[in-house]
Amino acid sequence: MFRHPPERNGFSHHGHFSLTTLTAPPSRCIMSELKDCPPLKYYDFKPVEHVKLCPRYTAVLSRSEDDGIGIEELDTLQLELETLLSSASRRLRALEEQRQILTDWQDKKGDKRVLGKDPDPAAPSRHKPKKQKQDSKGGPGPGPGRPKSKIMQPKVQEYDFPDDPQDVPRTPKNDAPNRFWASVEPYCADITNEEIRLLEELLKPPEDEAEYFKIPALGKHYSQRWAQEDLLEEQREGVRASDKKKSLMGGPLSELDAKDVDSLLKKSESQHESPEDGCPFGPLTQRLLQALVEENIISPMEDSPIPDIPGKDANDGAGTSPRSQGKAFSVPHTRSLEARIKEELIAQGLLDSEERPGQGGDSEDEVLAELQKRQAELKALSAHNRSRKQELLRLAKEEMRKQELRQRVRVADNEVMEGFRRIMAARQKKRTPTKKEKDQAWKALKERESILKLLDS
Amino acid sequence: MGPKMSADTKIAELLTELHQLIKQTQEERSRSEHNLLNIQKTHERMQTENKTSPYYRSKLRGLYTTAKADAEAECSILRHALDKIAEIKSLLEERRIAARIAGVNSNGDPPRKTMRRGVLMTLLQQSAMTLPLWIGKPGESPPPLCGATPASTDYVAKQGDKVAARVKAVEGDEQWILAEVVSYNHSTNKYEVDDIDEEGKERHTLSRRRIIPLPQWKANPETDPEALFSKDQLVLALYPQTTCFYRALIHTPPHRPQDDYSVLFEDTSYPDGYSPPLNVAQRYVVACKENKKK
Repeated sequence: MFRHPPERNGFSHHGHFSLTTLTAPPSRCIMSELKDCPPLKYYDFKPVEHVKLCPRYTAVLSRSEDDGIGIEELDTLQLELETLLSSASRRLRALEEQRQILTDWQDKKGDKRVLGKDPDPAAPSRHKPKKQKQDSKGGPGPGPGRPKSKIMQPKVQEYDFPDDPQDVPRTPKNDAPNRFWASVEPYCADITNEEIRLLEELLKPPEDEAEYFKIPALGKHYSQRWAQEDLLEEQREGVRASDKKKSLMGGPLSELDAKDVDSLLKKSESQHESPEDGCPFGPLTQRLLQALVEENIISPMEDSPIPDIPGKDANDGAGTSPRSQGKAFSVPHTRSLEARIKEELIAQGLLDSEERPGQGGDSEDEVLAELQKRQAELKALSAHNRSRKQELLRLAKEEMRKQELRQRVRVADNEVMEGFRRIMAARQKKRTPTKKEKDQAWKALKERESILKLLDS
Repeated sequence: MGPKMSADTKIAELLTELHQLIKQTQEERSRSEHNLLNIQKTHERMQTENKTSPYYRSKLRGLYTTAKADAEAECSILRHALDKIAEIKSLLEERRIAARIAGVNSNGDPPRKTMRRGVLMTLLQQSAMTLPLWIGKPGESPPPLCGATPASTDYVAKQGDKVAARVKAVEGDEQWILAEVVSYNHSTNKYEVDDIDEEGKERHTLSRRRIIPLPQWKANPETDPEALFSKDQLVLALYPQTTCFYRALIHTPPHRPQDDYSVLFEDTSYPDGYSPPLNVAQRYVVACKENKKK
């Protein structure tokens, strides 16, 4: 068997000669009607008749060096040369295509014969042109060799290079459907137990769910917190400043400073413990009092239906002293007073009972309102999600059942086919199929029917 | 020859080289003719005998291989000759621009001698006809500015290049005119262009998005049909016997290298809104960017 290493080499990355044929302009070819023949096209490779089509070119050819070419002739010459070049490059392409077809065809025949003799070389080595080269060099064995092709070998190798650019666009073309199916696959694939388990896992309420529905206790009011932070800040500044001083004057003084700041801080803290800037009374008490004072209906010193007011006045009068002592000034029963005032106001119809703070919080607390709104939203959303997941799980389980049935249908199909084959084989051998064979076939058919019915219901 | 060779001498020299190349081309063609004839005979014999024996197959393969080598050689010489022509033409173009600049500087005369309209139209047609045809080697794809292939985004048209330029006309309407690039300012990204129509005698300063460079190669419908505008594509095309581009639809793309596009101009004076098919050369058909109607 004679082989042609360089051509094989070219062919190894050029496996689609049918494509090449398809792209050829059909008008210029005469299709071959020969049955055993590769799709050769017998192009008409007649060169351009320049005498007819390129008169200026022809005229220039007959001129001597001295006569030369005029500038005014350039345009016409250009058009004529373009005609020639266009024709020549078309010829070049067609020749390459046809030559490749011949090569491929020969190669294919060669492969078949090689396969018959020796199963090893052809198919796998196609992807390894180098290896191919080597073993074909080693084995140009005996066979019906074609003497003519020997002459062509070196030339063929020389003109192999145009294969590469032609091959480049083809590779992605073949890849596209594969990539498409790969991308679609996950949506069409069978549902697995793993996926069901994942769904069930998702259905369990998350452990930290409660976390999101907590309403944290009210902390310190931001104005207090900020004041404290400012104070700490200043303290730190002070420490830094005193550090400098320390380096100048020595230690003890700065220690004293630190102590001072601490005590100051403690004082401020104790002050802030009492609500509304040290006023022990509830907001309603204050509002009511304010209204009364401004209207000047009662004098501050007079007895009032509210027993504790004198106490407040005394507090105002001695305002500075308790604070300077650093202790919280407290008036007893302020809380009950507030509650009573509120009840009274509601009873009088001056205060709307709706305003009563709901859910253990202040109705004026915007943050709380927002938090409750969001939590309600979260609750609704997670409920919705849960119902969706449940639905999905239900569908998935149903699909699993169907999958199982489909699998059984496939098995049944095979059994039916098997029975059919057996009966056909019997008929071919001109004998009636045995009862056993018939029974088996019937059984397979019936089973398949019943599974299909199950699947449909 | 010294470096100070005048342009005229250089052109004469190139013309001589071109002459030689043309003669070589013909030698090559005559040389390969015999082989092509042989192929034809073999084809005929194979078809009449109605079989492809191994003998014919290898014979044909040998003939094809030789013919292919010949065709490659012929193409190479022809490309060489066409390059020469392009070189001569660019020298002539340089001379033309230099002469024009000299004309502007020398006196107060109009920069270009006014040309009769008919002469201008002939010149435009001539320049469209001789736009070089792009013929790639097997596997090569058409370059930018070949047929419908757009220029790269950072492309800057050279001095003397013909472009479609969007200018404000006297009535305030916007119009795409045929213009020639005078200069390009890289810091402002603006072109200075001259209206090709002498009657306008106007110089416009326009931002680069108002400029569309015209194709520099014709696309070959026989080898690179994908580099042409396709049927029903919206384009700007030079209306015959004018120097203005108008919106049009491609009616039929060219079939052979020297053919024109047949286009339907948007024209409200016709009942269906389009003119009858008119021919416009590849050189004067460019992609239409804007989508809104005028």
